[in-house]
Amino acid sequence: MKKGTIILVIPTAIFSAVLLYLVIWNAVISFTNWSLLNPKISFVGLQTYFSVVRTFQFSNSILHSLELSASLVAIGNILGILFAGLLYFLSSNKARSVFLSIIIYPLAISMAVNALIWLWLFNINIGIDWLLVRIGLPQFPWLSSTSTMFPSLILVSIWAYTGIAALFYLAGFMNIDKSVIEAARLDGASAFKILYKLLIPNSFNSFIIATALLFLFSFRIFSLPYILSGGPTNIFLQTAVVYMYYLFTVEFFSQATAVATIITVIASVIIIPYALIIIRRWIRK
Amino acid sequence: MRPVVKASLHYLALAIVSILWLIPVYAMIVNGFKSNLEVLSSPVLSPPTSLSLTAYITVFNALAKPLVNSLIVVIPTSFISAFLGAMGAYFFYTLSYSFSKLSSVISDVLFSLIALATFIPYQATLIPLTRLIVSMGILDTYIGIIFAMLIFYIPTGALLMSMFVSVIPRSLIEAAKVDGTGDLKIFMKIVFPLSMPGFISTLIFIIIQSWNNFFIPLILVTTPNMRLVSVAVQSYTGGYGTLYNDTFAAAMLASVIPLAIFIFLGRYFIRGLIALGGGGKGV
Amino acid sequence: MVRIIAKNISKYFKKGRVIALDKINLIIENGERFGILGPSGAGKTTLMRIIAGLEVPSEGELYFDDKLVAKDGKLIVPPEDRRIGMVFQTWALYPNLTAYENIAFPLTNTKISKEEIRKRVEEIAKILDITHVLNHYPRELSGGQQQRVALARALVKNPSLLLLDEPFSNLDARMRDSARALVKEVQSRLGVTLLIVSHDPADIFAIADRVGVLVKGKLVQVGPPEEIYNKPISIEVASLIGEINEIEGKVTKEGIIIGSFKIPVNINTDKAVIGIRPEDIKISKEPIKEEEWILIGKGRVKVIGYQGGLFRITVSPLDSEEEIATYLDHPIKAGEEILVYVKKGSIKIFT
Repeated sequence: MKKGTIILVIPTAIFSAVLLYLVIWNAVISFTNWSLLNPKISFVGLQTYFSVVRTFQFSNSILHSLELSASLVAIGNILGILFAGLLYFLSSNKARSVFLSIIIYPLAISMAVNALIWLWLFNINIGIDWLLVRIGLPQFPWLSSTSTMFPSLILVSIWAYTGIAALFYLAGFMNIDKSVIEAARLDGASAFKILYKLLIPNSFNSFIIATALLFLFSFRIFSLPYILSGGPTNIFLQTAVVYMYYLFTVEFFSQATAVATIITVIASVIIIPYALIIIRRWIRK
Repeated sequence: MRPVVKASLHYLALAIVSILWLIPVYAMIVNGFKSNLEVLSSPVLSPPTSLSLTAYITVFNALAKPLVNSLIVVIPTSFISAFLGAMGAYFFYTLSYSFSKLSSVISDVLFSLIALATFIPYQATLIPLTRLIVSMGILDTYIGIIFAMLIFYIPTGALLMSMFVSVIPRSLIEAAKVDGTGDLKIFMKIVFPLSMPGFISTLIFIIIQSWNNFFIPLILVTTPNMRLVSVAVQSYTGGYGTLYNDTFAAAMLASVIPLAIFIFLGRYFIRGLIALGGGGKGV
Repeated sequence: MVRIIAKNISKYFKKGRVIALDKINLIIENGERFGILGPSGAGKTTLMRIIAGLEVPSEGELYFDDKLVAKDGKLIVPPEDRRIGMVFQTWALYPNLTAYENIAFPLTNTKISKEEIRKRVEEIAKILDITHVLNHYPRELSGGQQQRVALARALVKNPSLLLLDEPFSNLDARMRDSARALVKEVQSRLGVTLLIVSHDPADIFAIADRVGVLVKGKLVQVGPPEEIYNKPISIEVASLIGEINEIEGKVTKEGIIIGSFKIPVNINTDKAVIGIRPEDIKISKEPIKEEEWILIGKGRVKVIGYQGGLFRITVSPLDSEEEIATYLDHPIKAGEEILVYVKKGSIKIFT
């Protein structure tokens, strides 16, 4: 391969190699017992994994992560389809882009900032509850009750990320041959029927992309639970990533890297097939 | 159901969704203009009884340096990532029509790596990343933060630009090859100019992502002087005794730049999002 | 000015399930104008791309003069080193560069000075009569102008081989004749070896000295265009290079009988496929005295069309649905009974 060609990829390759190094480093340290209690590192095989996996916090946080992702994927897809449907049937392109921007804008704001605002909105006296009480609905405990903490987190995530799903479904809808839709309209089909029978069945691609992205974004959510709980220690809001950070703050490094490696593996299982599908479909035509 | 009723219901549904979605930004804007007393006592959702700029003034002084720090970090990071990533994307493009088995293996491996770098929960690389930055002696420096961000954003740029570069007609590249052009020159003179809209989308996407990045500046900066605005805002969290109207003003200041970019250049951001999902065509 | 030798070149796609080229053996002489004719999908573009270096042969060897440039799935000399100029079917002009910059582009990859580049670009622009559009972008030019810019870009670097891939298909029919004449003139002026790929026989007749007919990946006949036209080895080849009436029937002592037609043939088999070109058929109300026209019977005019200044008449024998076509310089009424003649010695027999 010619020199001029190789130059193109050198920066990308170098930084990708650094990332690979980081991932491997994580894995290596996870096989040791390095922590505050063991400043001298020695290899212990899978022992760290066994001890970490058995802790309550591990299963708790992994469960939370999976719960968060599952909720976001399920609700994000459903709401995404609905919103995309609402947007699709608008006649004005301008209105469509305005409303689309409204549901996507949360992505333009830092999640840390979003968390701050929602922290206030969740205040049971002067937050959203003030309005709910005014309408006559009961005061919802949001972050002040352990059973509603996590659902509140899910709510904010849905607010932040549903826009992505809606975007992909909308893009998918707009790729469907318009003449088919027009024929259905002429046949008297209602908007719901068109959505249900024509648009959704042809949206398998959008479903795949939306699900993959929702899962990946939800899995890496950090600042939201971190700020909503004021730190990494609240186990009711602890996701896998937050738990890993907690282990780092208490200097249990090998356990932290063990959790980090587990997180990386779970994410890779989704990312790598997804990447290979992309490369086969879009790049190697 | 009569069309007028249907249309009204349609718009009503959209209005409800819009209002729900806009509540947080409304709260952010409105409460920044309240006096501290009013923020503590009046509902978050009600508008201020009188406009007060004290919050903004205090916060602006405190956030001025973080804002500058963020600019110094984000601008080079995004331009470098988008450009170098574009080069990498063209490299993938050249691999896709090479004839050897080896090149398809290389492109699979490299592409999986850049996808991993784009989507991985980067918090998982916390420990080796800090260790690396410390050992390179660039903790608490602009270079350090930029370097760490580039690890994730150059591959992101490469992934996004792969979508945009793949729609360039193959015959143009072939004509250039027949004309005796090397790949680097093909990139500079043909591929890069022709993928400019995609480049701008990638650039906008990375600007917004890197500006809002919370975790990397969190762990790589220990001196208050070097803090970026995404982290500095965190010091205004609730917790008894801290100032409250400042929270909203701080949030607003931290978000002004990405929101402004989103409002004016939003379609590029959206195109970048769509490319992220693997479909650069027809947007 | 190069001699191209293809030895047993085969090209497979989809892991061998698609055979695009099947053992092609071909020699294109130095300075020759060679055409490749075939239906779409026959593999003509694939063969051209292999010669250009944009594809490699799955099996076989390709030589430029005595240099091996590709062999058995390996690219030995890449396209940028083969000194070829190519005009793509879509012209592939760089949209972000002006016509001048497009033409100059191949020269900027060499060490030639800027003044020398300007000289050469202006020279070739003059030959192709595009000097006045050099400062425009491709999208501002007409189809004919774009094509000439593409041709200029291919020629400006003095290639040893010029490849034209269906170069006229994007032009209006009116422009094609002048475009063909231009290509031929430029080639003879520069003496470059020329390979043109087309499905349109008009291109081949206008430009090529020799033509190779490619059908389903196999090179079935090679020779001068007139030879292919008059002595095609199969009905398929015959129909690729011109219009021909295909007739299949049982052979009797009186020839092939179809309805009221008796077509005299001298064959020993029971069945035969024959072809007669429209210009070798004549219809007339009155008997024709010239000896070269042999009467085959009475027929009825079926359909009248108009093509290229002539009337295309479809004729059937009485009591048969078989149709043959011929051309007349005047219209004739449908349903009329006429006498049908065939030119002596013009019947092509393929069995």
